[in-house]
Amino acid sequence: MKRPWYSFLYIRSPLVKIGLGIVAVMISIAVLLFLGVIEDRRMAAQTANWDGRAIEKGAEIYANNCYTCHGPDGKGLPGVAPALHSKYFFTQRLKDVGWTGSLHDYVASTVAAGRPSKVKSQWAQMMPTWSQRFGGPLRDDQVNNVTAFVLNWEKDALTQGTPDNPDPWQPFADAPSKAVAEGGGAPVAETPVEPTGPRSPQELFAGANGMGCSGCHNLDLPQTADSRGPVGPNMANLYETAGSMVPGQDAETYVYNSIVAPNDYIHEGYMAGIMPQNFAERMTEEEIRSLVAWLLDPNRQR
Amino acid sequence: MAVQPELEKKGFAQTVLDAADDVFTRITAGIPAGEVRRMLRGEAPGRPNPRLKPHSEAFLLHIKPTYYHESVTRFTHTFRLGLLSTYLFFVETITGLILMIWYAPTPERAYTDMIRLLSNVPFGQLMRDLHRLGAELMVLIVTAHMVRTYLTGSYKAPRQFTWFTGVILLVVTLFLSFSGYLLPWDQLAFWAVTIGTSMAEAVPPKVVGETVNLLARGAPDIGANGLMRFYLLHVLFLPLVLFLFFFVHYYKVVHFGISLPSDEEEIGQDTANKVPADRRVYFLPDVMIDEATFLIGFTALMVVITAFFFSAPLESIANPQSTPLHTVAPWYFYWLQGLLKIADKTIAGVILPGVLLVLLIAIPYLDRNPSRRGRDRRVAIISGVVAGIVMIILSWMGTPYYAVQGAPSVEIVQELMPEEGMGPVREIGYAHLPLGKYDTRENPVTDDEEFNHILHEFEASIAAFEEKDPSFNQAYGILSVTQEQPSLKRITWEIYWLSPEGVQDKFVRTFFLHEDSLYWEQYGLKDFSFVRPPAEE
Ligand code: HEM
Ligand code: HEM
Repeated sequence: MKRPWYSFLYIRSPLVKIGLGIVAVMISIAVLLFLGVIEDRRMAAQTANWDGRAIEKGAEIYANNCYTCHGPDGKGLPGVAPALHSKYFFTQRLKDVGWTGSLHDYVASTVAAGRPSKVKSQWAQMMPTWSQRFGGPLRDDQVNNVTAFVLNWEKDALTQGTPDNPDPWQPFADAPSKAVAEGGGAPVAETPVEPTGPRSPQELFAGANGMGCSGCHNLDLPQTADSRGPVGPNMANLYETAGSMVPGQDAETYVYNSIVAPNDYIHEGYMAGIMPQNFAERMTEEEIRSLVAWLLDPNRQR
Repeated sequence: MAVQPELEKKGFAQTVLDAADDVFTRITAGIPAGEVRRMLRGEAPGRPNPRLKPHSEAFLLHIKPTYYHESVTRFTHTFRLGLLSTYLFFVETITGLILMIWYAPTPERAYTDMIRLLSNVPFGQLMRDLHRLGAELMVLIVTAHMVRTYLTGSYKAPRQFTWFTGVILLVVTLFLSFSGYLLPWDQLAFWAVTIGTSMAEAVPPKVVGETVNLLARGAPDIGANGLMRFYLLHVLFLPLVLFLFFFVHYYKVVHFGISLPSDEEEIGQDTANKVPADRRVYFLPDVMIDEATFLIGFTALMVVITAFFFSAPLESIANPQSTPLHTVAPWYFYWLQGLLKIADKTIAGVILPGVLLVLLIAIPYLDRNPSRRGRDRRVAIISGVVAGIVMIILSWMGTPYYAVQGAPSVEIVQELMPEEGMGPVREIGYAHLPLGKYDTRENPVTDDEEFNHILHEFEASIAAFEEKDPSFNQAYGILSVTQEQPSLKRITWEIYWLSPEGVQDKFVRTFFLHEDSLYWEQYGLKDFSFVRPPAEE
């Protein structure tokens, strides 16, 4: 019988085969030993990896759902929602509200169940429930992810409390801090931010020293039948619609009145009393005028 | 038996040796130590041949033939592919059983169990990677085994039924692999299986399709019920079916003997079971040593590949609300996905695969040619090769490279930073993403070589799409990297272009990247940088 050209590859001797088998076993053992030696470090790296990914996912959820009220950098919006990126929040808040669990649990349960009550609250809106368990949009893992994201501010928040990096915390009217005088985690209740000169409309609308309008009003979307702002009306097309809202009021008057006396005219589908009533006291006449002009500018600059 | 007289007759040492040999012979089911020594030296067996005893004594050996025809023991005749298929099923069963310890088939737990397995179970990742690699190899090798039996004409009389049970085994293997695919409950798994089961829906008539779909998923969409059903299919029902058909298959193989190389027998004859005495190769010890060495070597290869070059993927948790860009089936179903792109769901998803299966089963009955020799079977071999080439082309068409390009802006970002998985940006990682705003019109250059590479690719990719796509003009991109939080960077891709009407359009996509995140590719050298932690600051 003719032998094929590759027949030199055939191994005939059983002893050579056994030898090769032993070599293969040794290689496997060596690889497994190597893996065993680095296994602890591998597990640590994987743990850090999945914690990191939870924070990434949480950041996305925050950017899609939370930042309109709690601020893009988590420092809150005055009158809309409190700061989370705050030294006070990480050091003192739990003691003041009397929470005995961990901060993680506090954040997770607040995210899950929201703050459904507006009784005695100084905030413009109530926080909705976010967990699917209570009718919200987020699954449990998403609640955990966004919690991980919020807690990841800790390192940065703890450096706050210096003049150029103040704690953005706004004291709760219904949970006054019991640690005002102490150092450490003292809140900044009595550091009113002194306005220097008139604030710009942009600052007033969305800035840190502003009125927090952006929490409820969207500047990029128009207010139409199929694009309604859920809490307050959208404002992309305000310059077109404002003049025809209330008979007898031109656009400027209508917008001005809506700021200083919001309850005078409530459009169908919105509730009275959501928008703060004290804007006339918190802004100067000049500031309000410039804000009105800016809101009605078709080429509004951000 | 009395000890005393025996001791007196043989002396103490001899008695102990005899007793030890007796025990040894029981353990080896009939082979005394002296015979083992003769085996290793390659000497002929004594008479009556004690090396046949284990085949009648031992359960595990009773299904193995006592001797083979020398020609079929050559590696290049079977390539040991049937043996390997069997062995891989064995590997899958062992690793699968181990994985079951940490796995609970519910949507709330499946994915977190995977994460826990990877980060808290010693050797957990190795087990998972082995199981996944074993699954892919098993599909590959069972298919190769089919191709080999096709090319040697081994399906011809009297082995038609062996071929039939083989086809069943192939189908069960594919279903096993597919049902396991869902279990990690990530986006990859969820959408591949959603697409797969939606084909069942296309079975005509409508009632049947909907019922099949409902039975598989346990609900109109995959959820807790679907996961439980796939789990039970995967760990219980399908392994049992495979087990049963394997024994039928193997019984037939032993019964008829492995077919001889075709030019060693007359056309139309089957002499596999008439082995002349001088051509016999006994299972003990020759074939056993050969198979054992082969499997041990293969195991070592698998261990090395899993340890250094293969990582089972795990994407974001399954989200029924968001279909990721470019969802793909597992690679062994690319051909189906390719078919689905060119024909409608009922034809491509149900009728063609059905016809294919029937054809495969019918091959032994369609091919009436009695000869198994290659030169007499030109039609069969050429049609086999053509079918293989068609499969490869269809598979290529099943990949996202064929006919599913999205908008240029979407594709540009997807290339550099895909929604799921790694991509070049995550590959260079957090440390190589300097903060700043980079506008492709200004040809930005940074101190970081690896990042410059990304910027360059971004520019090149925009330019390439500008050339290709007439609705994408005067395009430029802005990549901004900002510090969102400690250890967390925000990466924003903005792409601006003019539509053919000259209207400016814009696409924005934001990603976050954490310092500790590791992303990995399924194939390729693993990242071992965690072994040496970064130097203290
Ligand atoms: C889980 C899947 C399978 C297992 C475990 C398996 C196992 C085996 C084994 C151990 C053999 C002995 C000869 C050899 O190693 O080649 C064999 C032979 C055979 N198998 Fe399979 N097989 C599988 C799938 C298939 C498939 C998919 C086909 C074809 C559609 C097939 C068709 C055959 C035929 C025709 C033979 C006889 C070969 C001959 O006599 O030369 N098998 N199988
Ligand atoms: C009795 C045998 C088997 C048992 C008990 C078993 C069990 C399991 C379990 C518990 C999982 C979930 C863990 C995980 O996803 O990593 C799994 C996953 C999987 N199984 Fe199996 N399995 C068996 C056989 C097979 C076979 C024969 C194949 C392929 C031909 C296969 C393919 C897969 C695949 C592809 C996955 C997904 C792997 C991953 O992504 O991690 N399994 N199996």
